[in-house]
Amino acid sequence: MARTIDSPAVKGRPERDRTRRQRSALVEDRWLIFVFLLPTTLFMLFLLWLPFLQGIWMSLHNWPFMGEPSWRGLGNYRDFLTADYFWTSIEATLIYSLSTLFQLILALAAALALKQAFVPAKPLLRGVMLIAYAMPPVVVGAIWLFLLDPSLGMITYYLIEFGIIDFPIYWFADNTWAKWTITLVAAWTFWPFMFLIILSSLQAIPQSQYELAEVYGANLWQRFLTVTWPNIQGAILVVVILRLAFNLAKIDQPFQLAGGGPGYETSVLSILMYRFAFMSGDFGMAFTVGMFLVVVTVILLAPFAILYQRHLRQVGG
Amino acid sequence: MTDDRSTPLQKILTYATLSVVLALVLIPYGYAIVTAFKPPYEVYEVSWWPSEISFGAWRDVFAINHFHLYLWNSLIAGLGSAVLAVAIALPGAYIFARKEFPFREPFFYIIVGTLVFPFILLIVPITIVWIRIGLFDTFLGLWLAFQIFAVPYSMWILRGYFARLPRHLEEAAQVYGCTQFQAFWRVMLPMAKPVIVSVLFLAFLQGWSDFLFSNMLTTGDGPRTAAVAIYTSTAGGERVEWGPLMVMTLLAGIPPVVLYMFAQKHLARTFAGAGH
Repeated sequence: MARTIDSPAVKGRPERDRTRRQRSALVEDRWLIFVFLLPTTLFMLFLLWLPFLQGIWMSLHNWPFMGEPSWRGLGNYRDFLTADYFWTSIEATLIYSLSTLFQLILALAAALALKQAFVPAKPLLRGVMLIAYAMPPVVVGAIWLFLLDPSLGMITYYLIEFGIIDFPIYWFADNTWAKWTITLVAAWTFWPFMFLIILSSLQAIPQSQYELAEVYGANLWQRFLTVTWPNIQGAILVVVILRLAFNLAKIDQPFQLAGGGPGYETSVLSILMYRFAFMSGDFGMAFTVGMFLVVVTVILLAPFAILYQRHLRQVGG
Repeated sequence: MTDDRSTPLQKILTYATLSVVLALVLIPYGYAIVTAFKPPYEVYEVSWWPSEISFGAWRDVFAINHFHLYLWNSLIAGLGSAVLAVAIALPGAYIFARKEFPFREPFFYIIVGTLVFPFILLIVPITIVWIRIGLFDTFLGLWLAFQIFAVPYSMWILRGYFARLPRHLEEAAQVYGCTQFQAFWRVMLPMAKPVIVSVLFLAFLQGWSDFLFSNMLTTGDGPRTAAVAIYTSTAGGERVEWGPLMVMTLLAGIPPVVLYMFAQKHLARTFAGAGH
């Protein structure tokens, strides 16, 4: 590489040569753009847009896993809106999306703690905190199924031992507990994603800004407000947007933990979609539910997207 | 060692937070590890010290569950996913970051918008289409399906990195006789090495960890991954064998953790500009 840069191939050539070189560079440029964008374009076409259109087409049909589909028009949409599990599912979805907030609290606290200069063994601590996120979600789910098992789980055991509860709670089968339990397990599993990004952005804050704040006599809280917060605001909005979207699209772990039950109590929209497709084999209805998931995602993300736009305008990015 | 800028209050808050978070993280894993080495009859009582260290559960996992076959499938699924993600996203991200062309911004935002789009709903049509065109129950079918998430994610990361590199790098290379492609290959690519490692790693994890696509697009005879095998042994209505299950969680969970430790530095650098 170094040799190529050092060789003065075109130094001191006549002017005419240079313009020709520039023109051919322009043609080359267009080719490069075309060839390099080809895989991306094919990807978009065949893995995103065609399946999406195919899905919409399916949602207008009664579409069994095997066998002939038959036209239903908007029948699937009407059925879903009037089904008695519609609101149960929406409620479960909203509660489950709250895990984003729990993740943020944990991540922010841990990142701020790890940012402090006096904390020893930082790389080790950071690594330990990433463990839950590094592991596959169903692996973490399996561990929590064991810990929360009503008859031999460690957590149930200690809760009874310390007299906090009298009887084992069926965390994943209880009408009130189940949706909160899957939400908290999701918080425990996915917070390191936020932690990683917030910590990276904390570490990018120039030390001089803190020193300046100190010169002006700012205390701990004031330093946070005037230096730390403005610097990490953008990163926080990005992780909230991403995590909220990812949490809404989670199927594996909550399904493993509670299977969408009892009844439909933990059937967040994504799980409901899964149940229709792969338990009842009703692919038309499954995609219909998926379309509602799109709507809910857009509505929940909109305020944060607007805030982020405003933030970008402020910092001029 | 004392930092003159930190007050005692700051220290108390910091260490309290760290202790709580560490306890939250370590206790569940600690218990899973202990359980994996318990003799079978002790799995059903809550204790931190097994009377003897037993490898019975480890033997069962290989001899009865054939878990190594699933781990192998996960490895192939992850590697293919990683290679394909970089092959698709790298050239595209480079162009989006460094070249001008019509409709560049809308084009890019449509792709990266997929990141926050609930992409999982595409599993419904993809299952049907994969069956029709013969990609069902194949590794290729899995690798392609993983890209729905891996490509937008990789594009987002790679484009951000390329855009932050100094301007006029390519022009400088061309002045010294590089073609456009050489400028990309010999100058830009080596500079992007840490971020390419991050992308490979994240796309590998996507394949290794995925449950939804691997479960839907394969059958019991096909390329079933370890994540699916773990799910299957917790579902299915039979009594769960917790000892072997904890062994499986360690076997499927530790490789990505080790990879994370190695990739940490790269990842931190990759995400440093995420908010801008």
